[in-house]
Amino acid sequence: MFELIRTLRIDAHAGGAVGEAAVPADHPMFADHFPGVPLLPGSFLLELAAQAAGPLCEEVTALRFGLERGAVLAMVRRAVFLRPCFLPATVRLTAHVRHADSARMIAAVVAAVGDAIVLRAELVMAMIDVPPEWSRVLEGRHERLARWNSAT
Amino acid sequence: MTEPAALNVVVDMIRDTLSLSGREGEKVSSDTLLFYHLAFTSMDLLDLLFRVEQHFDIAIPDGTLYGLARGEMPDAEFATDSVLSAAGKARLMALLNDTPAELFPERIHAASLPRFCTVGAIARLVDARLAAREPCSS
Repeated sequence: MFELIRTLRIDAHAGGAVGEAAVPADHPMFADHFPGVPLLPGSFLLELAAQAAGPLCEEVTALRFGLERGAVLAMVRRAVFLRPCFLPATVRLTAHVRHADSARMIAAVVAAVGDAIVLRAELVMAMIDVPPEWSRVLEGRHERLARWNSAT
Repeated sequence: MTEPAALNVVVDMIRDTLSLSGREGEKVSSDTLLFYHLAFTSMDLLDLLFRVEQHFDIAIPDGTLYGLARGEMPDAEFATDSVLSAAGKARLMALLNDTPAELFPERIHAASLPRFCTVGAIARLVDARLAAREPCSS
């Protein structure tokens, strides 16, 4: 499964989050990208950005609007890949909410490896209703966020 | 009608995905929901669809599910600002008829449609693509 985030700390009041993802060189999903020169595909980098921005947007929605909604990446509004992300790498993700309403959020995300920024992106997250029947998914999300928040 | 072969291949591919995180023993069947039961991420789904495309030599472009659910209905009737209308939701539920009705929220964003897919729905998608590729012989 594609779950590479190790830590994520969310400050909903400030509308920001900081996290880290550990990306190995031998993950089967990008085994052919490229043989002998493992490089994180841009789409995966955007997914990591969305995995940091999503929970942030959910927490901000809960705080500002009192709604428990799920964040789904609706659009990549802007993405600038500044450097290749060679693997293995520890990717530091910083996300900030730029625009918030109860149905849609825009988050700016910066991904960096060491001191080098590899991605700047703006993601539009659709905030979707989560019926009570999806409670097992919510429980999984809460468990994951607790794990990411408590990891050192 | 879904060919068992398509379903079996899709199930095997999903088992491969699960094995990446040591979940080899997990039950996967036609009515298993990818995001609900298996906690798929969108990247897991994308990876699965890439492998399905490669294996069956078909294309499943972004928006395929949206297009299948919409059918001949005008886009403006199907969704407004990317949120499905009541008629649009009914069409989606008819397409994904093996997903329990109570799992569809009142407000469904177009970007979230794959979240309601079962394994069987993916196999049916493969069948639809294969059928579109091969003209019927009489």
